[in-house]
Amino acid sequence: MSLLLLDDALLLRHGQRFGPFGLRIGAGERVALLGPSGAGKSTLLKLMSGELAPTQGRVLLGGQPLAALTPPQRARRRAVLPQSHQVAFGLPVELVVGLGLWASEAGEGGERQVRQALAWARADHLHGRRHDQLSGGEQARVQLARVLAQLADVQGGLLLVDEPLASLDPGLQLELLDTLSTFCRERGHALVAVLHDIPQALNGFDRLVLVRGGQLQADLPAGAAALPALETLFGLRLQLLPAADGGWALSARRASATPVPPALETTNG
Amino acid sequence: MDARLDRRVLTRRPKLPGVPGWPLALALLAAAIVVAANSGALKLGWADWQALLAGEPTQGALVLAQLRLPRVAFAVVVGAALGLAGALSQGVFRNPLAEPTLLGIPGGAICAVAVVLTLLSAWAGGLPAAWRPFVVPAAALAGAWLMCGLLQGLARLLVPGAVAGLLLAGLALNALAFALVGLCTYLATDEQLRNLTFWQLGSLVLASWPIVAVLAVAVAGVLALSRRWGQALNALALGEAVAAQVGVPVVRLRRLLVLALALLSGLAVAWCGLIGFIGLLAPHAARGIVGADARRVLPVAAWFGALLMLLADTAARTLVVPAELPVGILTALFGAPVLFLLLKRAQREIGGGW
Repeated sequence: MSLLLLDDALLLRHGQRFGPFGLRIGAGERVALLGPSGAGKSTLLKLMSGELAPTQGRVLLGGQPLAALTPPQRARRRAVLPQSHQVAFGLPVELVVGLGLWASEAGEGGERQVRQALAWARADHLHGRRHDQLSGGEQARVQLARVLAQLADVQGGLLLVDEPLASLDPGLQLELLDTLSTFCRERGHALVAVLHDIPQALNGFDRLVLVRGGQLQADLPAGAAALPALETLFGLRLQLLPAADGGWALSARRASATPVPPALETTNG
Repeated sequence: MDARLDRRVLTRRPKLPGVPGWPLALALLAAAIVVAANSGALKLGWADWQALLAGEPTQGALVLAQLRLPRVAFAVVVGAALGLAGALSQGVFRNPLAEPTLLGIPGGAICAVAVVLTLLSAWAGGLPAAWRPFVVPAAALAGAWLMCGLLQGLARLLVPGAVAGLLLAGLALNALAFALVGLCTYLATDEQLRNLTFWQLGSLVLASWPIVAVLAVAVAGVLALSRRWGQALNALALGEAVAAQVGVPVVRLRRLLVLALALLSGLAVAWCGLIGFIGLLAPHAARGIVGADARRVLPVAAWFGALLMLLADTAARTLVVPAELPVGILTALFGAPVLFLLLKRAQREIGGGW
């Protein structure tokens, strides 16, 4: 049985049409959602999390319609890391992380779980600070810790993240992506992440779901074979280049542009 | 690197030793109650308290039992209600400047009472005599509740979390409410107008034990509620979407909080008119004392509101003896400059973008 099933879920919102999406996500899968800006990636993620209910079709979590689960029941199965974090008032960091335990048995006394989650997110030094006085990158780490705390004692859950690492430096991005992957693998959680970085998606995920214009464009395994689909999606020319250390680097340039001198190509990986 | 950071964290927020906070706070409140009860046109002292406790019908004991104590108790519960309402409305609207008076919630209550006392006075007069004392509070409650509901709807339509949008929406609704009050005044007969004016002047003069008991029950009920829902209120500070994601039943919580807010604001207005700024000062002071955790802010805001109100009311009835100042004037006199300071600070913290 699949963990999350989108059964022809269609959403009409602000006069726009999203879907119908037919998707099946199994336990432990790592899925990257890719697409140009405004393609509907975040909307698709909200359908998956239950924040938006489909106009037609169904969304099932563990075989049950999301709409039929109470908020605490949902919170025990899936956690969501949103794109932006606004925290009113000067709540302390450990309280924000502890909110991840709201629906769990640990409840409000989970001091140990809070410290553990902060350590996973490389944010243990922020314990005791006020959330509103942190930098954007520090806030992102605290929010990550909150989400990790929510699913730390669950097996086979669902973790939905929306560009979680956008405001962090490249080294920390890779480190925390590893943390997320390990965290999910150890507990059999499925990880669904909205990403903008193609190399990150190819490296850290099993499956790519490509979205454009509110429609599902492709659903394919991550790997070199996905490059043509990614080229169509973004209108780019992509090339995998062997790197000196045996790895690879991805070169991306505009499909319509005249060839640029090699020195100006953007190289990632 | 981490060790250095840790030290900085520790020096910035020194851990307070285990101060017995609640005993201290209650002792302070008790002392304030005694001082407030002693002051007035007739100065009272220890001997009068002794006479009261012994049941001797001296003049001092009578003044204490029949005038001062109800009045002081009324100030305490009204202050607690206003402070608690301020803290709740800041939490519900996720906004540090969301004071009920600034948002026009009491305006809704006043509007509803004005309609009942003028346009519907024939209907209200026809009610059984036993129901009549409840007509004004019930109307105030309904008006406050309606206003909260409208504000909630508007706040969700406007930019979420925007300070200016919410305050301006409150301004617009307040103007609407007072336009309706004006209309009622215009259409009222002389007698209706007199009733309405007397009620609007409102002060703590109405103090009586039944009223104190009703307000005390309301405050205690909301405090009990906030013990259970405090952490959910904290989650609300992260936005309704995130609160729902961690498992908070947001729709139910919002209904509950709005009802509690309307209850406290409406009852306070019904019996003592418009008293501003307590609801703004109390939660801010509470946050300064115990941090931003709603589970601690709510009771401390109630305590601080009670203390402030006691101070303001005592000043109002002793400054110009034998006359008495309307207490709302005093709270506004001191509260308004504080609002300026808070605005300045909010602007610095949030930036110019609101």
